[in-house]
Amino acid sequence: MSDTAETETLDIPEMDADAWADFVEAQGWTDGLPTVVPSEAAVARMMDGARGDNEPFAAITPRQLIPTLQSLAANAVMAGCRPAYFPVVLAALRGVLVADYNLHGSLATTHSCAPMVMVNGPLRQALNINCGTNCFGQGWRANAAIGRALQLVLNNVGGAKPAIMDRSTFGSPAKYTFCFGENEEESPFAPYHVRQGFRAEESVVTVMSAEPNHNLNDHGSTTGQGLLTTFAGAIASPAANTIYAKGPYFIILGPEHAATLARDNWTVEQIQQFLYDTACVPLSQVSVENRRIYEEAGHFPENDAYKVAPTPEDIHVAVAGGAGKHSAWIPSFGGTAAISIRVKPPAAG
Amino acid sequence: MRIVNPSFGIAPQSEGTATAGPVDWANDPIILFSNNKPNAKELLEGVRDRLSSIRRVDNIDYIAKSSASQPAPPEMINEVARKYRIALLALGD
Repeated sequence: MSDTAETETLDIPEMDADAWADFVEAQGWTDGLPTVVPSEAAVARMMDGARGDNEPFAAITPRQLIPTLQSLAANAVMAGCRPAYFPVVLAALRGVLVADYNLHGSLATTHSCAPMVMVNGPLRQALNINCGTNCFGQGWRANAAIGRALQLVLNNVGGAKPAIMDRSTFGSPAKYTFCFGENEEESPFAPYHVRQGFRAEESVVTVMSAEPNHNLNDHGSTTGQGLLTTFAGAIASPAANTIYAKGPYFIILGPEHAATLARDNWTVEQIQQFLYDTACVPLSQVSVENRRIYEEAGHFPENDAYKVAPTPEDIHVAVAGGAGKHSAWIPSFGGTAAISIRVKPPAAG
Repeated sequence: MRIVNPSFGIAPQSEGTATAGPVDWANDPIILFSNNKPNAKELLEGVRDRLSSIRRVDNIDYIAKSSASQPAPPEMINEVARKYRIALLALGD
């Protein structure tokens, strides 16, 4: 795989869809799936979706090149975005470029993390971002294309080529796309972005370097306490990066589980505190070698167990998904942060 | 046909290039810089053992960044640059 000359536009021979797919693959510009041709006209339409957004971007690691709005739009076109999706892609990119997100570490690591993109606010419905049934899965263009566009930007402008700069041992399906919306309509709690200090009418993207969702099945518990006990047992993993207790994680409550918790008067803060106190890895499940390493890093057990989050506030609670007695745990890379960025609506005209 | 290059980007303004003079491998102080993974320390300790057969080692020190997944803080890098002439890095998984 090699990039062509670094000019903003390229003149290439006319080619059909098959030849284009081969060309893109040869350039190393694809995630493996076919892409849309980023013609100047298509890119111009994409850029119109973000008209008025003149805020510059930081250089993208590891190539350390500053993208242009045009090169970002080209990736959005290739990913299959509608122009209206583009501001969400740009907000997600701004989020992963915040220093605390630790983009370089999360791209170069052997861990299987990918950028999780959660959308809050009115754009979820305007763009038809799936927040309900199968929200982490296939079938919705916005979920598929927004997450994919961000990945293509990191691959193409950033240079995080798999097996070259992206050294993930396994990778994960989330590296194709990992975008969903919070199911604010079925949440008994204030929307996630409002709890982060944004206004309800604003649209906000939250990113975190994350593993894909781990399912939390609990059909049996009929109380909030019971559900959280199940969740805590699953989250207390001696083999997740959260064992280092240096990073955040998300707990995505399915609407039915969320309703049970709200019925039993659990607040988000109480859920965070319960999981912080209870989702701990017993000393008996940690090898002697790892105990020594954790101690050298200043991470000591409390009451014969290791905590898996730095603070209760690092446990992020949101509601998504559809009917069913399931929730989800989304562990982070560890050395990362959940970053929320307001989506800039396009300027009028 | 004309397309927009999806890999196009602009190189940031350079902050200038630092140059280092020649080093004396037999005598100059060396820092063994670990990414904080267990095997990195083993690698660096092995290097130090090998060096002991060809040079003094009382000015060879070891340091690890605080997290394998996060960059070394600038103050750590500046301190290392101030005190040592040679840095040997290990990225051990």
